[in-house]
Amino acid sequence: MRVIRACRELGICPIAVFSEADAGSLHVRLSDEAYCIGPATSIQSYLNIEAIIAAAKKAKAEAIHPGYGFLAENSGFARAVGAAGLIFVGPTPEAMEKMGSKTSARRAAIAAGAPVVPGTIEVLKGYEEAYEISARLGYPIMLKAAAGGGGKGMRQVAAESELRSAFEAAQSESLSAFGNSDVYLEKVVERPRHIEIQIFADTKGNTVHLGERECSIQRRHQKVIEECPSPINDADLRQRMGETAIRIAQAVNYVGAGTVEFLFSDVTREFYFLEMNTRLQVEHPVTELVTGIDLVREQIRVASGLPLSFAQERVRWQGHAIECRIYAEDPENNFFPSPGEITFLRVPGGPGIRDDSGVSEGVEVSTYYDPMISKLAAWGGTRDEAIDRMRRALDEYAVGGIKTTLPFFREIVRDEEFIAGRLDTGFIARFNERRRERRVRSCGTSSSERVNRESTNRDIALIAAALAYSRTRREAASDHQPRDQSKWKIAGRAAGLSRIITRGSLQRDRQ
Amino acid sequence: MKLHASIADYQADIEVREEGPRVLASIDGCDYVLELQESGSGGFLLISSNQVFDCRAEGLPQSGKSIEVVVGTANYTVTLVDPKRLHGASSAGAHADGAARIIAPMPGKIVRVLVALGDQIAAGAGIVVVEAMKMQNEMKSPKAGTVVALNFEVGTTVNGGDVLAVIE
Repeated sequence: MRVIRACRELGICPIAVFSEADAGSLHVRLSDEAYCIGPATSIQSYLNIEAIIAAAKKAKAEAIHPGYGFLAENSGFARAVGAAGLIFVGPTPEAMEKMGSKTSARRAAIAAGAPVVPGTIEVLKGYEEAYEISARLGYPIMLKAAAGGGGKGMRQVAAESELRSAFEAAQSESLSAFGNSDVYLEKVVERPRHIEIQIFADTKGNTVHLGERECSIQRRHQKVIEECPSPINDADLRQRMGETAIRIAQAVNYVGAGTVEFLFSDVTREFYFLEMNTRLQVEHPVTELVTGIDLVREQIRVASGLPLSFAQERVRWQGHAIECRIYAEDPENNFFPSPGEITFLRVPGGPGIRDDSGVSEGVEVSTYYDPMISKLAAWGGTRDEAIDRMRRALDEYAVGGIKTTLPFFREIVRDEEFIAGRLDTGFIARFNERRRERRVRSCGTSSSERVNRESTNRDIALIAAALAYSRTRREAASDHQPRDQSKWKIAGRAAGLSRIITRGSLQRDRQ
Repeated sequence: MKLHASIADYQADIEVREEGPRVLASIDGCDYVLELQESGSGGFLLISSNQVFDCRAEGLPQSGKSIEVVVGTANYTVTLVDPKRLHGASSAGAHADGAARIIAPMPGKIVRVLVALGDQIAAGAGIVVVEAMKMQNEMKSPKAGTVVALNFEVGTTVNGGDVLAVIE
């Protein structure tokens, strides 16, 4: 959808590809031509390189924009697109490969003079070496399994006295989990913020940065809320991080839009390179709102060989933007996916609000893909104004038929820690704790005014339920059709009925 | 229309009457007069003395089954029980093979017990009569069998969900 909009603005004919599950989706509706590339399962459609390239050739397309999921960071796809004589809107496959592996990305960053989390990237030879390095870096440190993942073989060590037992535990855990006892260690960045720098490079040798995004609010390592700028909002820090990110990008001859991720410590005010994303990111709208630069438009310009439309000196950061990723998940049921048909949709608007949505009323949210249904962004002159607008827009937003994370966001934007901007990657865990406490408290002591309002709302809910019930009973009584008809037919018939009634009463009025 | 409603641990008897565009409701003795604007697919805009309540009911409510109702940004899970449709709800406790449990669909009082423990009964035979919201409802057995449990005596008050009797 985002890409289609940029194409339209540039006078380019957008061509969509879709899976069988997405035949009626919004991006297909708004494209000029659309090609089905396979069944619902993404392996057979959106990850099917041959099918996508075949569709592009059939459509006589000039370029392919990979979006920001599926194959966007797949160098094999970028290479195949190039081999087919098409333009890949993104970096070169070589740059993608260098940044794709954690160790080679870390090596490239070190070569570019970027700070990385201090530690060994090589495997520790034994306890003696672990002892020496830890003493030099200072505690706390983290022991990690070289073959690791999923927290197995990981041990945080707060002081020297704990090192020996932790080292042995990490080794044996690593051996039993991965069949390999190799461990390495890193200094622990305490309460880190996740801050990333948007960079952009063209084929003429220009590389610029567009400032930072704060993405510390994460759940299951997935970003939930992003902001530009970070609540730290330090121009000097922005410049230092920006220049570092540019150096890293230049080290791999990067072209197009990219993001360099860092960890930032509020305690030491130091930042460390984490990884680079070689694509446009989901959270790019907050940067667009604050800088006024259309990143997808620039991507297409750069891919067609044009220079960037702006220079570093022209990049200005104005105001503050926040984005919430609205998911079809039930926050009351451990964020379980909530697929189904969207029976009602009211999208917020008004000053400073931007909604990048991929759905419409009547659309089925399937279980096949990521359940993100929309990205809601709010811009304000200050962070406080942006929060006010976001709060208002979240309350305006209504989605029927499925559960969404909207209620969860409504609570976050009212949370005092969030409003104060005290963010780090542990935010959601602490927020959930506060949320539980608030609920326990509100069960006992509430102000009488609040109790009144709540009991009125509850009574109104009962009345609405009773009205809905009387409608179904009336339908059932007047209906001789089989029972398993769709809700749509019922709704359609009810709507038709009410129109007839209206007309009838108008005629009566005239008489 | 009289219904019994519950939200979480709150239970209430509710009476709703529609007069043209007005809705007259009484919930546990508290009266409401509301103006109704209906927008199809479960949308109900209710205005009570200039206070606006933007409501939406998710899906098609059935007696004894819960539905979601949104009022503004607040979410409620509402279960309605229609005393006129108790029979349909009670037969839901039947299992094709094992024992059939006769379950009280809503709070009420046992006014009559029609069988004795160990009685052989036919499918459809009345077991107990429960009075709820001033209406008496005969709870019938969904299957033929033996009465193996009778859990309440005449005059006792039962809660919705209580197992009144078991037929095997």
